[in-house]
Amino acid sequence: MDFSFTKKEEEYRRTLRIWLEENLPEGWIEGKRDLPENEEEQAQFLRDWQKKMNDGGWVAIAWPEKYGGQSASVIEEIIYHQEMVRAGAPHLINYIGIHMVGPTLMDIGTEEQREKFIPKILNAEEVWCQGYSEPNAGSDLSALKTSAVKQGDKWIINGQKVWTSYGHLADRCFLLARTSNLEKKHKGITVFLVDMKQPGVEVRPIIQMNGKHDFNEVYFNDAVAYDEEIVGEIDEGWKVMINLMLHERTGIGAQIFTLEKQFSDLVLLTNELKENGQPLIKDPFTRQKMVELYTRCRGVLLTYYRNITTSMKRGYPGAESSMDKLMSSELTKDLFEFAVSIQGHQGVLWKEDALANPFWQLDYLSSFGVTIGGGTSEVQRNTIGERLLGLPKDLR
Amino acid sequence: MDFSLNEEQEMFRGSVRKYLDGGGQTKIAREMAKNNTNLLTKTWKGLAQLGCMGITVKEEYGGAELTTVDQVPVLEELGRALLPGLYLETVAFAAPMIEKFGTTEQKEKYLPGIADGSRTISLAWLEPGKCFNLNDIQMTAKFDGDSMILNGSKTLVPEGNLADTYLVLVRSESETDGKGISFVLVDRNDDGVDYRVLQAMDETRHLTEVNFKNVIVSNSRILGELHRGEDAIEEGLLYLNAALTSIMVGGMDKIVEMCAEYAKIRVQFGQPIGRFQAIKHRIADMKLDLETARSLSYYAVWALDEKAEDAAVAVNSARAFITEAYLRLAGHGIQIHGGIGVTEEIDCHLYLKRAQYYQTYLGNSRLYREKAATALNW
Repeated sequence: MDFSFTKKEEEYRRTLRIWLEENLPEGWIEGKRDLPENEEEQAQFLRDWQKKMNDGGWVAIAWPEKYGGQSASVIEEIIYHQEMVRAGAPHLINYIGIHMVGPTLMDIGTEEQREKFIPKILNAEEVWCQGYSEPNAGSDLSALKTSAVKQGDKWIINGQKVWTSYGHLADRCFLLARTSNLEKKHKGITVFLVDMKQPGVEVRPIIQMNGKHDFNEVYFNDAVAYDEEIVGEIDEGWKVMINLMLHERTGIGAQIFTLEKQFSDLVLLTNELKENGQPLIKDPFTRQKMVELYTRCRGVLLTYYRNITTSMKRGYPGAESSMDKLMSSELTKDLFEFAVSIQGHQGVLWKEDALANPFWQLDYLSSFGVTIGGGTSEVQRNTIGERLLGLPKDLR
Repeated sequence: MDFSLNEEQEMFRGSVRKYLDGGGQTKIAREMAKNNTNLLTKTWKGLAQLGCMGITVKEEYGGAELTTVDQVPVLEELGRALLPGLYLETVAFAAPMIEKFGTTEQKEKYLPGIADGSRTISLAWLEPGKCFNLNDIQMTAKFDGDSMILNGSKTLVPEGNLADTYLVLVRSESETDGKGISFVLVDRNDDGVDYRVLQAMDETRHLTEVNFKNVIVSNSRILGELHRGEDAIEEGLLYLNAALTSIMVGGMDKIVEMCAEYAKIRVQFGQPIGRFQAIKHRIADMKLDLETARSLSYYAVWALDEKAEDAAVAVNSARAFITEAYLRLAGHGIQIHGGIGVTEEIDCHLYLKRAQYYQTYLGNSRLYREKAATALNW
């Protein structure tokens, strides 16, 4: 058992840290980390930032060098996420392109697709969204109805997608569509790489309860895709999805390191807030709750490390990542709930009138989505029960 | 970074498990409940032969001189089998304490016996009607030249009827600011030592009251600095609690295994109950608690071995979390087994009672969370 990083790994950390110090947007290091309010300006800001990251070679570090990555090890990825969170670096706008589309194309795509799409994923020239969920197909993707019908050399796409992150910014969509109704439900689905900037694609914003706009509805009305935009085999999209899900692990790591940062911010908050002239952290009840949260944060992080060790030894990731997802998202919710509750009656105020930094209120409301997006907590519990403990599958 | 036990450690776990399974697992604990200590004594000897007792003891005293992490698989297996006896107090607590604070004479007297399994040491700390607080220690040591006279009572002494030696906390000075405490090694056979087994909810343990009436022992029995036991106690408690978390993780591991197995075979409404999400999700949550506990426990032990800066935080916070998680799991374990879960016949209640015992063993969660908060400089 060993939790330490090697000299080489620490050197990697130092290189990245120096690069970030030299290249982060102005004022960022000093803690001025506000993104432009205007949606379009913000998107441009983030595209520019990703381009800069890419010029430094820091966008898709886990990718093979021949595709513009660093062939980074799992441990280097951990360090990467730790440093990005530590620096509070702006997020990469092409998250879906980097973590899902790119790796899938490398595994399953054609040479032409790789050449056409991968460089533009890296430099944020083409931002990607994913078209999975539909109003009646959330956790149950096999129920999806969006159709793609072959017509000559084209596929005509009709249907509606929902909860599409980055949909309003995206140039391309990694779309699941039904191409056959003849076979079993999870068969007959095909993956298309669809141009979002064509007539026939309409994006409508979904405003969340904290006023933010992360998600969209996307309507396809006789939108068009071509044969060369199909990933994998026709009707075999399910296999593509399974391959893609194996690449999702890295995203959980970033969430877990963010949680660590949020917890240390919470410690600062309990020092700032006073009750009877005493910092709140001196209050016995608050201390008890804070140690509880601290312990759970550590538990999530350490379990993540253990699960990584397991997959490294086995050679591939497994269902353990469901534990990481379930633990970290449930904890995120509890952490923000506590952060708002300790602000007392003034916790109900937000934005300009917030007692402390208003992100506590905003992220508190966001946190209710964390246990839903990327697979609900209920779906994670099914995975843990069925795949880690061998319990019988739900009746389907 | 490699956050797992290595191959040798896992192999060692395998042989300990095989041995304990052969001895009837919880049967050893159940025999204790019937006041039969023979099976425990036999098992203890068997474990000693496997080399479980001297893992961390220095080679010159007959040990293997390995790390505390190497002891983890054994502790987890003892926890799975609910083994009574004094492994925690003797091997995980007294041995490192003697190694660290003992005189050469004390090391020579106690360590070889611990390492070969011929000597057990129990911890005589709490006093009847008193709290777990050093100020509440009233058993006295009065000095008379080279020897001292001990008077007082200790309670909840684990397996006090079996221990060869007690590590006793005594008031050697009248200060009450958490100071003036000393550790003394008293043998069960010393004149004036008397004990009685108490009725405990966890009947698989023999918790005892030990009375000391004008017990005269040499001053050379004092472990560590005279009147300065409080520093040694803090360090000793880290070793004890780190080991305790491993034992509890073992128990939790067994509970989750029992529940998952039962949920696969128990059929209701024409289905194995594990197919129902009400059951499946509860067991998934239990698995999460288990793995969180195991991660916290591994790290706590490792941090202690490495003398990491956050060792005290890691141990104290793990102890608080895991005692509560163990009790929570033991309760779920009964619920999932349904009616038979509450019967004497099925093991579920044994885990519940043991979890209940550990809840408050030498301090409760509130105390350990407070210790963690202090160690975090909050």
